[in-house]
Amino acid sequence: MSRQVYYFMYGFLGLIFLGAVAFKVFQPIQVLPRIRLAPGFTLYDAQGNPVTSEDMRGRIALYGFWAARCRGCEQVLPTMTYVAKHLPEQPEWQAGDLDIAFVIIDVDPERDGPVLAEYTQRLRQETGQSWFFVTHPDVRYLKTVVGGGFEVFFAKQGDVVEVDPKYIIVDGWGIIRGEYAYQTIEPNHRRLLRHLNVLAQEIHNSKGAARVAYEAAHLFLCYAK
Amino acid sequence: MASRRLLWVVLGLAVVLVLGTVAYRRFLYHEFVGTVIQSPEPAFDFELMSAEGPVRLSDFRGKVVILFFGYTHCPDVCPTTLAKLAKVMEYLDNDAQQVQVLMISVDPDRDSPEVVQSYASHFYPSFIGLTGTPEQIQEVATKYGIYYKKREGTSESGYLVDHTASLILIDPEGYVKLIFPSVVPEDEEYLKAMAEDIRYILRH
Repeated sequence: MSRQVYYFMYGFLGLIFLGAVAFKVFQPIQVLPRIRLAPGFTLYDAQGNPVTSEDMRGRIALYGFWAARCRGCEQVLPTMTYVAKHLPEQPEWQAGDLDIAFVIIDVDPERDGPVLAEYTQRLRQETGQSWFFVTHPDVRYLKTVVGGGFEVFFAKQGDVVEVDPKYIIVDGWGIIRGEYAYQTIEPNHRRLLRHLNVLAQEIHNSKGAARVAYEAAHLFLCYAK
Repeated sequence: MASRRLLWVVLGLAVVLVLGTVAYRRFLYHEFVGTVIQSPEPAFDFELMSAEGPVRLSDFRGKVVILFFGYTHCPDVCPTTLAKLAKVMEYLDNDAQQVQVLMISVDPDRDSPEVVQSYASHFYPSFIGLTGTPEQIQEVATKYGIYYKKREGTSESGYLVDHTASLILIDPEGYVKLIFPSVVPEDEEYLKAMAEDIRYILRH
């Protein structure tokens, strides 16, 4: 009898230990890292209305860096359009209670002014999401925000603008939660969709007792691959 | 005999479990009221002007630094936030010596180092006020996610400046660790919890 109880006890403790190991190894809860603060900015849309980092507070924002004639950013619009179209199919996004903005920062303000309005209109209609095409006439300021803040390199090379391809997910707190600079085996649009789903999951579930588990996932670096 | 041994084992387990839980809650797990950032890179190190000469963020390594962006003509959010921070310093008691509040002006045209210093220390003696050239302020504010914009002709004293008023907490190693929301809730419980967050960071 007593031996059985011992076995039971050891088994119980073993289970707790295995549970902790399994939490780290199998990561039942995955989160996106809280990387650093996204920059604060005032940029302008095609109509000259200011769009600021404060306008993005409380909603998720996906940033892309782009110019109409660029080298390196060719995939930005197709990728973000794909994400915008397919996001509502993601399980955590089906509730439809989360707000997301698709923000394209144009790094060639001298030339691209007029095309921005057209693109904004078209992508809004095509995807049914809220899009912002923004820029700033002062290239030095753009460098401060895009280069210094988002850490995205761009430079004018004769007729084209060279842009490092990069996507950035920022949460409602203004914290960068994902940076996607390199193509992996999984194409960027799939990865972005998956990660936005992980973020939505955390927003929906990290409440009360579950918050402790989510914070533990941050502490143990259980980051989505 | 066997049952007595069993009793000891169960008792021992119970003690270990209770102690473990207490230790976990006391020493390992702390529920922050601020939002935690686990930044892999150190906070942006800036140099700005204080009333007593240039000051760098890295001068305060070893202390918890709280950054607040505001300006001295600010009618509402700045005075209330600084007053609340002063309250937090009071709750911190002796630990307050390990905490440095830096108020950075987003209105460098009107706020000279002396003006912003006397404004800041009016709320709490150790608060430091900083300012710089418009370019310097722009760079620092952008890096810390602070939006600010002049609204011309909006007040009798000339203009107001819209700005993000979140508080940014930098740990003693120089990493951004916590963010507190733009409008810090008024209630005492929240301010005490902020003090506990700071204490936790100082002790770990």
